[in-house]
Amino acid sequence: MKRAMWILWPSFLVGGMAEGIFFSMLDPSDLNLFGQPLELSRNAIYTIGFFLFWALGALSSALTCWLQQGANTAGAADG
Amino acid sequence: MDCRVKAGSAAARARKPAGTAVDAGGETETSLYEVRQKIYPRAVHGWFARWRLVLVLATQLIFYGLPWLTWNARPAVLFDLAARKFYIFGLVLWPQDFIFLTGLLVISALSLFLFTAVAGRLFCGYACPQTVYTEIFMWIEHKVEGDRLQRMRLDRGPAGAAWFGRKTLKHGLWIAIALWTGFTFVGYFTPIRVLASEVAAWSLGPWETFWILFYSFATYGNAGWMREQVCKYMCPYARFQSAMFDRDTLTITYDAQRGEPRGARSRSADRARLGVGDCVDCGICVQVCPTGIDIRKGLQYECIGCAACIDGCNQVMDKMGYGRGLIRYSTQNAVAAKQDARYMWRRVLRLRTLIYGALLLGIVAALLGALYLRTPLKVDVIRDRAALARETRDGMIENVYRLQIMNTSEHARRLTIGASGAPGLQVIAAQPVAVAGATTRMVTVTVRANPADVKRGSYDIRFHVADLDDAGLRVDEKSRFFMR
Repeated sequence: MKRAMWILWPSFLVGGMAEGIFFSMLDPSDLNLFGQPLELSRNAIYTIGFFLFWALGALSSALTCWLQQGANTAGAADG
Repeated sequence: MDCRVKAGSAAARARKPAGTAVDAGGETETSLYEVRQKIYPRAVHGWFARWRLVLVLATQLIFYGLPWLTWNARPAVLFDLAARKFYIFGLVLWPQDFIFLTGLLVISALSLFLFTAVAGRLFCGYACPQTVYTEIFMWIEHKVEGDRLQRMRLDRGPAGAAWFGRKTLKHGLWIAIALWTGFTFVGYFTPIRVLASEVAAWSLGPWETFWILFYSFATYGNAGWMREQVCKYMCPYARFQSAMFDRDTLTITYDAQRGEPRGARSRSADRARLGVGDCVDCGICVQVCPTGIDIRKGLQYECIGCAACIDGCNQVMDKMGYGRGLIRYSTQNAVAAKQDARYMWRRVLRLRTLIYGALLLGIVAALLGALYLRTPLKVDVIRDRAALARETRDGMIENVYRLQIMNTSEHARRLTIGASGAPGLQVIAAQPVAVAGATTRMVTVTVRANPADVKRGSYDIRFHVADLDDAGLRVDEKSRFFMR
């Protein structure tokens, strides 16, 4: 649980920042997905965007946690 | 710090199952972060508690009330993300005004630095939402479950009907406040009256529903369950605030010289004869602490500067007939030099605060200046790329442009469009152009020149967009004109 919070909480903060910076410069209705315009409301794109940023941040935090364990213990049963 | 969960804490958890009473302070509960001693803060009354109450009321009045205010027949404060426009009273901010929001964030950060350098964690103790909502939730807890001892007894006793009833009532009230908070939060992004009618008609959109529930859940979790753990383990500010502290920063300080050696004694006892200090070791300062620390051990990073211990201790000092301020707001230097408030005031102005202050003033002035000088009209010129120039039947040369005109103010404008940069340029467009308040309008404009006056080649020209009713308002925008 402690580790889950170490991963989820900083990524939440960074996800919020990324969301703010990204969408204040880019209009969601200008975005294209694989060459097709996104057919979603702006609010939907904001929400999905936020969770995407959060997930990416969490991935990075999780990798940091994982690498920090060191090569010797990596892969051990309980980490 | 590494990410491994310490084996020791896991073992401790195995030894002490959740819900086992361990000492007079409370029970252990397996929390999100570590084996946490559940804290049962004792309610406290006094000068600082009153100020906190005032600030809780003021901040919440603003937070809950602001979205309901109306201005120019629209919500006074509305961050309309869907339309990408922010309304703040008379001001309408567009994506182009990103710099103002950045400036606002820089100002907030610098103010926090300045306040922290001068007065420590005043923000944490009085105005931080975490403190404010915890205070509200604890007040409900106190009303429903009783005072500190009653709450401890309730939690340790059997889970009977009375227990169930009180817990249900408490959580019900907490959830109600959390939902109202989530609703208000979303009300900053969707007009709150519209939102209210949607809630009443049970026709709330999926995204709004989601964010109301998300924010409500965060409020309920943070203020009801996590409380001081947010400050101790989650708050980044708590960790880097020490970088802004120095020996002249106001902190909650226990005057050890005056208090020690501590010890219980009767009210009539002679302190000098007993050889004891002013601290009667009653433990009130520890019981009232929302983060559960003992301030007598010195300043700790868990201390949020709420001054509950000052209020608690002052009450005891009054009862004992001793002077107040055994625990007080003071600075390291003032305590060491045994100096009073006047000394501290004199040392408020020091290099660190002067630098923070100067930066803050500079940025506020620059931002206000920029806001004042901001033109409420923006023009973008897009050349028609299909044809550089075309010849009309009567031998004139024409270029076609599209002008995107943004009226960032809230009232409608009537605009004229002119052009200069080559002899005898004529602008052909339906004039004046009417642009409603806070909207963008695309206008197609043809510029015509006579080959008899203008030689072949390309020319730098300027469009002049001027307000018919406001002589001072004119925006010039560059483009190119081609004679074939």
